[in-house]
Amino acid sequence: MSASGADVISIDATTPRRSPLGQVVRVAARPVAVVWPRPTVDQWGRDARLIEALSPLAHLRWDVSVGGEQHLPRGGALIIVNTRRFALTPISTALALGEALDRPVRFVGRPDTVPFGPFLRRVGGLLAQPDEIAGALRNGELVVLGAQGSANPRYAGRVDHSLIAAAVRENIAVHVAATLSTMVSRQARVEVSAALRSRKKRRGPLAEVELAEHAQRRLQDLLDEMGGSRTGVPGLGWLGEG
Amino acid sequence: MGSELGSLVATMLEAEPWVGALEGIDVDPPRRRLRKAVFHRIEAHQRDRVVDVVTRFNPHVLIHIAVWEPDARANTAHAITFTQEAATSFLGAAAECPALEHIVLRSAASVYGRARGSLTRPDESAPINPTSEFGRMAAQLEATANDVGKRVGVTIGALRLAPVLGPHVPSPLGRLLRLPVVPFSALADPPFAVVRDSDAARALVAAARVGLAQPVNVVAPGAITAWQAIVRGRRLPLPLFGPEWAIARRLSHFLGAPVPDHVVELMHYGRLVDGGRSQELLGLVPASSTPEVIDRLYEWPSVIHVRPEIPAPWQQGVAS
Repeated sequence: MSASGADVISIDATTPRRSPLGQVVRVAARPVAVVWPRPTVDQWGRDARLIEALSPLAHLRWDVSVGGEQHLPRGGALIIVNTRRFALTPISTALALGEALDRPVRFVGRPDTVPFGPFLRRVGGLLAQPDEIAGALRNGELVVLGAQGSANPRYAGRVDHSLIAAAVRENIAVHVAATLSTMVSRQARVEVSAALRSRKKRRGPLAEVELAEHAQRRLQDLLDEMGGSRTGVPGLGWLGEG
Repeated sequence: MGSELGSLVATMLEAEPWVGALEGIDVDPPRRRLRKAVFHRIEAHQRDRVVDVVTRFNPHVLIHIAVWEPDARANTAHAITFTQEAATSFLGAAAECPALEHIVLRSAASVYGRARGSLTRPDESAPINPTSEFGRMAAQLEATANDVGKRVGVTIGALRLAPVLGPHVPSPLGRLLRLPVVPFSALADPPFAVVRDSDAARALVAAARVGLAQPVNVVAPGAITAWQAIVRGRRLPLPLFGPEWAIARRLSHFLGAPVPDHVVELMHYGRLVDGGRSQELLGLVPASSTPEVIDRLYEWPSVIHVRPEIPAPWQQGVAS
């Protein structure tokens, strides 16, 4: 009975009785919580810790040297790269740039099917949709977009103007990055150019069409300047051409 | 005004200098002490009484929060019925008020749906394509409100809230995550974002204050996956691959945490939305991040069962 005369049920809230099942579960889950204690996905589902864990594997496959990264702005930018058929160029470029810049870099071209879609989302993948790319650029993200894949690594494929339209719409800088890698060597190179400038001001859809063509030309120029890669093995130099 | 979110909004509105008079309707009484607000306990289907009270009050602003999330307080069938009845009564009654200028609506991020190939983080301009019952309810509510707005010439501001979690907010997602053993999609484990109840209430009040005239996403910064949430809460993760979800849903329902289709969708495909425009449109950013909201979810004390000193008559036989 309290002083006011009302019936009071005292509840010892400081030491509540825990159910035995709950205690067993907590003890069983404790090691997992210690190993992976903090959530590491960002607002787009990219998992920095997973990328950190995978980076030794990526280094086993690629030894990428990055140049021209000082051209990239602090905010959002679209980076167009040449891609070799059956290669993972946008992914390797995004990982290499992310490491060089110490900030998240995303790439376009993840599927939306289990299990590859969710896995690629965790390493920074975006769907190949203009609205998806526009959303990321608007949020100040660096996004790597692959040109159409080609059999020759020194050839810049066509750039999809419907995807580049996202950068035009959001008024975001577009860069090209020439990449050089081979199937047999670890050595790879990524060279980022300064932002592309359109010679003509367009109000309509020609803006993205001309920008895509300009990006393809500039990418080809960069690839020509870089020259081919060498395997370093006598008689097998041609493998360096892809 | 009877729900936790409604009571919270009413409390905040009482503190707003621009609010002159405040009235609320619900089937349940307010959960907080309100000093200025007048409360009417009316069921949504009693349309004549609703119209009578609302038209007599003749508000400038209507904040419509009467949205029943499936399996939060009512099962899916009842939730649909209650939400439709409330929309018809309250929005219909508000349309009869000559002073009405603005309607603020509680909607949900589920309106964007999660069809294959849909955007990872849709913003407000993304097409509405609900793929769950809750999403369809919210989309229908927005359509009804927009129709009312066009007919009577008032602005409509829909707040598309991420799953709302708070100590007293009934949430099927919150209940599922607090189970001792929590199922999650082993192949996908997609990220999702939530919002704290107080941040959702602040957003609703801000929308009423600024006269929001378009939809806006309200979501806490950051994201978390089900696995990461389970690990943070020191629950036991139960990886599921697909067909077992049907059994897990039934088992979870049996344990007191029914899992509606929009929560299953969240666990399979994730639920992220771009909340970047809330700063521009409402002048606020949710204070708590998604991981913080999840941490708070696990910090709430469990229900403490207190045995009565004198057992109930039906228990006395058992006790002896």
